[in-house]
Amino acid sequence: MTDGVVRYATPKLGGYVVLTALGLLASLIFARPELAAVSAPFAVVLAIGLAVSRRPDVRVYVDVDRDRLLEDEEVVLEIELDARDSAPRLELLVEVPSGLELVSGANPVALRLGFGEERRLELRFRCTHWGAPRLGDLHLRAGDAAGLLVWEETLERGSVLRVYPRPEELRQLVGPRETQLFTGNRVSRAKGEGLEFADLRQFVPGDRIRRINWRASARRGELWVNEFHAERNADVILFLDSFVDARRSDRGTLDEAVRAAATLTERYLLEKDRVGLVNFGGVLNWLRPGTGLVQRYRIVEALLNTEITLSYAWKEIDVLPRGTLPPKALVLALTPLLDDRAIGALLDLRARGFDLVIVEVSPLPYAETPPGELGELAFRLWKLRRDGRRLQYERAGAPVVEWREGEPLTSVLEGVNASRRHARARA
Amino acid sequence: MAVTLYGTFAADRLALLVLALGLTGAALLTYALATVNAGSIVSALVGVAASWSLSAWTRGTGAPGGTVLAAVGIFVAAELAYWSLEQASVPDEGELVARRAAGLALRGFGALFLVACVLAALGLRPGGGLILETVGVAAAVGLLAIVLVLARAVYEAER
Repeated sequence: MTDGVVRYATPKLGGYVVLTALGLLASLIFARPELAAVSAPFAVVLAIGLAVSRRPDVRVYVDVDRDRLLEDEEVVLEIELDARDSAPRLELLVEVPSGLELVSGANPVALRLGFGEERRLELRFRCTHWGAPRLGDLHLRAGDAAGLLVWEETLERGSVLRVYPRPEELRQLVGPRETQLFTGNRVSRAKGEGLEFADLRQFVPGDRIRRINWRASARRGELWVNEFHAERNADVILFLDSFVDARRSDRGTLDEAVRAAATLTERYLLEKDRVGLVNFGGVLNWLRPGTGLVQRYRIVEALLNTEITLSYAWKEIDVLPRGTLPPKALVLALTPLLDDRAIGALLDLRARGFDLVIVEVSPLPYAETPPGELGELAFRLWKLRRDGRRLQYERAGAPVVEWREGEPLTSVLEGVNASRRHARARA
Repeated sequence: MAVTLYGTFAADRLALLVLALGLTGAALLTYALATVNAGSIVSALVGVAASWSLSAWTRGTGAPGGTVLAAVGIFVAAELAYWSLEQASVPDEGELVARRAAGLALRGFGALFLVACVLAALGLRPGGGLILETVGVAAAVGLLAIVLVLARAVYEAER
């Protein structure tokens, strides 16, 4: 134990003082010497206990076996205790942050350390929720042999863990309407170097011989060449609405949205697309589109720090710096459609011509019908208003797909693709 | 409770008052342990001690029979009560339980000899004879020793 130690008397010390004093006083008042004898053991424990009591000297070393892990994975916290002096009773409490639960090991624990004794404790925690919890902060309380005095200290030896959301399995992604200039895995509508056949055209000087379609050329009596679709990448902006969160104990719409955003980031980056993030909420965060593993970690780190910050400030999409929303980008919004600022910003994006897809993280499972007839009526009106909003987006050309609790994300994205195919067919 | 009952049966008069005081002390002790209230432990022990003192007073001057036993009983009850309170917040490891039980047994023995010596120094002769009282307390300490052996066996089994 080091500086910052607080020493205080236990209730036992106070109790023994009172019992000794009362015994001796009663002995004098009632002239009964045997009462002094009854209080003698308490007096002796006090005298000897306080005389031999001294501050324990225990060195504590804390370590976690890893600091980056996925949800549902386990982390081991190792605590090494090195007693430079004996500690008759040492209580140890590890602060368990939310998002972690103890799997094995005792916490809190009271143990004894002999002179020069070393002990190693292992606590195994399971990460139940994504985030950046701090693990390893300890509270130590050492008592003397008689239990009369206690030394208490808080050791901030914790390290911040990065618990990443566990990515979901996705069969297909939402394809953007427009591709960008850089090479990627998406078949562009533009013609160029690629694998997907696009069209035939007459040979012009400069065309490669291997592009000549010999069958078509033989049929037409002149040289014709194959044209291909270019393979390009796309810009994808994940728009995370963090104004409001519909929540029920350990689950909420923001949790689902962050998990989905992490999954989508990973998958779009694997497709060589550039992915950016707009965290539109009480605190505005953004990341310009980028590619590669570094961008993936940047986005996931930004997602880990996502939280609901209460704000009444009206925010519009204009507050975002230029370059955050590149032209022709696919904007994939993850929102519970509860806050008017986010709803307005999304309509604004669509009006500016962005390819907008809205995944509505449904707040309905987290909402309870208010009691009474009026409550039921109000709830129905609220649901109707939400339907109206969805219609408003769809009229503006932005498909809205409802994502209910427990439904896999992949089926939601398939719903988006179907909706977009249907819209194209109608057009 | 044993101290209270002994005091009640040994009292020459006011036995009901002795019993009432002792039972109040026992009830307070139960309340203190159930609600983890350290403040009530002192009141409870004072109640039991007052019950014993009243019983002793009814038996005239000098140390009455069972004084050593009563003193050690009250002391061990206090030690066990504060130990129980500690367990309510953070339970001890098996090894620590065994060591503390051994320590408590030693303190019980120490209290026995201390009280006997104090009474002798004060020139009081506790009724029933010191040897008989020592045998009674040794039985109680023996019980604690059995607890210690059992706790150690549990600890070894856990290891």
